[in-house]
Amino acid sequence: MVELALSGDPEAFGEIVRRWERRIFALAFGMLGREEDARDATQETFLAAFRNLRNFRGEAKVSSWLHRIAVNQCITRQRRAKVRGETALEDEAEKNAAVFALPLEASPARTAENVERSRAVRKAVSALPPDLRQVVVMKEFEELTFQEIADALEIPLSTVKSRLYTALRQLQLRLQKFGDAESV
Amino acid sequence: MHEVKQRPACHRAEDLVTYLYGEASEADALDFSKHLEQCDACGSEFGVFNQVHESILTWRNEALGAAFDPRAIAIDSAVESNQFVRHERKLSALAALREFFTVSPPWLQGATAFAALLLLVFGVTMLFRLSSKPAEVVNNNTQERRYTQQEVKAEVDSAVQKTRDEMAKQTTSPSILNNEKPTPNRPQLAINQQSRAGRSHGLSRQERQQLAADLRLTNPAEEEELQLALPEQDQQRPNQ
Repeated sequence: MVELALSGDPEAFGEIVRRWERRIFALAFGMLGREEDARDATQETFLAAFRNLRNFRGEAKVSSWLHRIAVNQCITRQRRAKVRGETALEDEAEKNAAVFALPLEASPARTAENVERSRAVRKAVSALPPDLRQVVVMKEFEELTFQEIADALEIPLSTVKSRLYTALRQLQLRLQKFGDAESV
Repeated sequence: MHEVKQRPACHRAEDLVTYLYGEASEADALDFSKHLEQCDACGSEFGVFNQVHESILTWRNEALGAAFDPRAIAIDSAVESNQFVRHERKLSALAALREFFTVSPPWLQGATAFAALLLLVFGVTMLFRLSSKPAEVVNNNTQERRYTQQEVKAEVDSAVQKTRDEMAKQTTSPSILNNEKPTPNRPQLAINQQSRAGRSHGLSRQERQQLAADLRLTNPAEEEELQLALPEQDQQRPNQ
């Protein structure tokens, strides 16, 4: 399939998109925190991949290659958003942040708590530096192994583990503040 | 909020993370679980990190749907992508060749096939020539040996005859008639003072051998094998 895609067969590439779309979306959502941004980033990821198919020599896995493109796309979007100062929109979106799927049997109180908790986690993850955030998202959202993350980001295995450790400590502190604020 | 980059409380921070996400081997997991019981810092960090991990998973499942199972997709995709990559690596040269023949015009395909055929024929011809070369060398050596004795004998005979003729000319001079010994100035003749039975008029056996060597017709080692037959009249003349 990859071979056909490399030769420019659009149907073959469509099959690749179909197989990897959900995972790339999960990664983008974890990085960006919003569904709309995640969808745009996913689309841009596959467009970039299609344009750069000729550069893919097959030395790495397809998944690692797509991940690398997706991470770069997400970081680029965030930099652009920062430059444009889209904080107002973010606040608005945050207020109306929808939770896609909630267990029907959950009580309203529980639901509200979950929503708040999820929002806090989302904020905490979004506030992480990009290098830490991408490791957390790839580990938590896509459940990649440490070695797979190291291959995708082209960094040593020990670096992946130390980044994740640091990210967890920062998230712990941020969520602790949220917990303290909640208890008040 | 400023970035918080604190040093790990314990030197086994990486092992903690590996253990937390279930990627430690059985032996390493057992070893670290014992360490957790002994190390308060790791013990408390493990508990906190587990809560953070659970919170992120909850957020993920709520955001993407509880049915979202990245590992299920990952396994299928990894297997297929590995196969694709392996398959792609295996066939890359073959695929490139196939693609070349697919996209190239008929004349180019024909030219490529013809060039390949020429190369094959050239290779076979070179191989055949290399294998037949040693036989030719052997044949040349035997040819040289075949003619050695006969030709040398003929050449020596003619040289001897020539010398005799010269000697015959000199016999008309008084010195020769008086049985004087030939002057030492004749470079081609070696004077042999020793008498031998059957010695020829002008040339002794040694002289003949010397003459043959001078004419470079024989190897010194082969001289003994040669038997030079001289005319009878030379033998009848008195030995000087």
